[in-house]
Amino acid sequence: MNREALQHPLYVMVHPFNGYWDLKYERSQKTSLIISFGILFMLILTNVLGDQYSGFLVNMNNPRYLNSLLEAVYVLVPVLFWCVANWSLTTLMDGEGKFVEIFITTCFALLPIVLINFPWIWISNLISAQESSFYYFFKNFAFLWSGLLMYVGIMTVHQFSPSKTIGTILLTLLAMAFMAFLTLLFFSLVQQMIAFVSTIYQEIVLRR
Amino acid sequence: MVARIKKLRTGLLALCCLVSLGLGGELALAESAAPSYNYSYWGNAVAAPSAYEATTLITGASSGAGPFNNPQDIQVTADQQIYVLDSGNNRFVILDQDYKSVKTVDAFQFKGKAEKFNNPQGIYVTQQKEVYVADTGNKRIVHLDSSFKAVGIIEAPKSELLQANFEFQPVRVAVDKADRIYVMSAGVFDGFMEFGADGVFKSFIGANRVHVDAVEYFWKSISTKAQREQMVMYTPTEFTNLDINDEGFLYATNGDDYGDPIKKLNAQGADILRREGYYKPSGDLLYSTRSGGAPRLVDIDVSDSEIYAVLDASRGRVFTYNGDGYLLYIFGGIGNRLGEFNTPVAIEHSGDDILVLDQVLGEITVFQTTEYGRTLNSAVRSYYNGDEAMASREFSKVVNLNANMEYAYAGIGKAYLRQGEYKESAEYFERSMDRTNYSKAFLLYRKEVLRGHFSTIMTALIALVVLWQGLRMYRKMKARKKVELH
Repeated sequence: MNREALQHPLYVMVHPFNGYWDLKYERSQKTSLIISFGILFMLILTNVLGDQYSGFLVNMNNPRYLNSLLEAVYVLVPVLFWCVANWSLTTLMDGEGKFVEIFITTCFALLPIVLINFPWIWISNLISAQESSFYYFFKNFAFLWSGLLMYVGIMTVHQFSPSKTIGTILLTLLAMAFMAFLTLLFFSLVQQMIAFVSTIYQEIVLRR
Repeated sequence: MVARIKKLRTGLLALCCLVSLGLGGELALAESAAPSYNYSYWGNAVAAPSAYEATTLITGASSGAGPFNNPQDIQVTADQQIYVLDSGNNRFVILDQDYKSVKTVDAFQFKGKAEKFNNPQGIYVTQQKEVYVADTGNKRIVHLDSSFKAVGIIEAPKSELLQANFEFQPVRVAVDKADRIYVMSAGVFDGFMEFGADGVFKSFIGANRVHVDAVEYFWKSISTKAQREQMVMYTPTEFTNLDINDEGFLYATNGDDYGDPIKKLNAQGADILRREGYYKPSGDLLYSTRSGGAPRLVDIDVSDSEIYAVLDASRGRVFTYNGDGYLLYIFGGIGNRLGEFNTPVAIEHSGDDILVLDQVLGEITVFQTTEYGRTLNSAVRSYYNGDEAMASREFSKVVNLNANMEYAYAGIGKAYLRQGEYKESAEYFERSMDRTNYSKAFLLYRKEVLRGHFSTIMTALIALVVLWQGLRMYRKMKARKKVELH
């Protein structure tokens, strides 16, 4: 992996149209995939660090209930859901993107959140309550930037028109909600089944 | 075979555990906590030393006035005489400091006629020892002077504010220094009834707000007038009790599940209770339906320094807050031991002691402060009176007795802030989770540090800029040389 490949995510951040085009047609997919996992890992890491080390004035977490594993789940599950939902939809809607490409695009779009929020973990320890609006401004700014990147990325990867992209994104969100519902239903059913089996087992064992 | 079943069982158990993981969490309830507890910033019940302990039980028999029958209200005067309203016996009994009966009043003279009470529900004693009794059965308020002769009687008022079928059923009464009379009347949803010193009805004050949920609002908005008339009427919650403090502010409790169950009303009837604490004053935060459900606040008592205590009838607990709305301590309970009640109905303070009246048992439980309670009370009082140095000392003692008392750390922090010890101050405010004050202390501390190291910081900055510029020039020169060479 060369220096240029590592710098490419930064290039995508400021030149999304060219950057994503290069990502789809020019770059080695394997390298991009490794970088994508790196970005996801960094996002998890910054979330964990942020919850633990953010300044007292902006940190509303109860330190007793911080769970780094859950923190990872909160990042991975939405990303996975997003990718699966988007892929399932766009295969039906003539999107050109493959699943790997969608995944890479999504991960690259998350970079601003990592890069903007990371320094603020430490800067937030040096600000007062009045200045905390800067903190929240930059947090929101990072999210908006990521959203924009995501939009351009999806548009490029599927070769969609702008309006179709918006429609796709909205449908994807709907599909994500549907998936979440199905998952919950599935787990709840499995739980019921296990409870049923265990009750029967207990009945048999105790009847002896 | 057995081993296999055992293996299977552990496997199944592990599976069940895995699946149920995260479902049953957070069931830590107040009742499983230590006997005495407080709520932390995070809303958990944490153990606390008891601030009050029950010492004496007063019954009608022990006081020498004969057994109480269904007493409803008590009132303590400044010189610590206790007025017990013995509703079942249609009388009130006055006890002295040693809890011995000194007088029993069951009849009074009015306009030359001997009159009696009929199931009175509320009593109030002014500083001049004039007695106001809400004589519920007779639908009137009786005003007796200090020698228990009737001065005036307030009957059902006439006013265009009142409906034609209005029934005057006074159940609680309070009187301010200007002799304005505030009456809580059963079946009245418009707030307290306010009477002038002459007994003339003036207006209602402090009505609770109606809570309407969105679904209900939607149905009401699309239904016709005839349909609306068939629907459930939404009326504001009734008050459950009231008390008045030295400055003439009304403190009231109500059974409101959505709004604020405790209110402090000014003369206009606006709620001005300070709710600066970790959460709104409302009794228990954690409860289960098994232990009586949501708190049902039935009485409130204001003592000096804006400290007020409310009585929760569903769990028999007394919650004491300071003027800012921080929960100070909790004690009491439902049960058969000393310090527990069956049906608590009224709470009063007598000096630093707290008295709780039990309606069914006809007993008054006297609670006295422990060392912890005394220290905490004195800390809150010193702070209220502006003596921050004293408050800080007392709060230090409090945290020595109870390290979980987050509020006390703020008291220490404030004293440090005043002394200019900003770093320590910020640390203490952080421990008490007081973000506003932390920010203040932190700003001052930051300024101090920046001032102290101004020369170092500036030197480093300038050195960095010079270094960077130098590096740039060096690189440019190198590049130019390369070009010249080629």
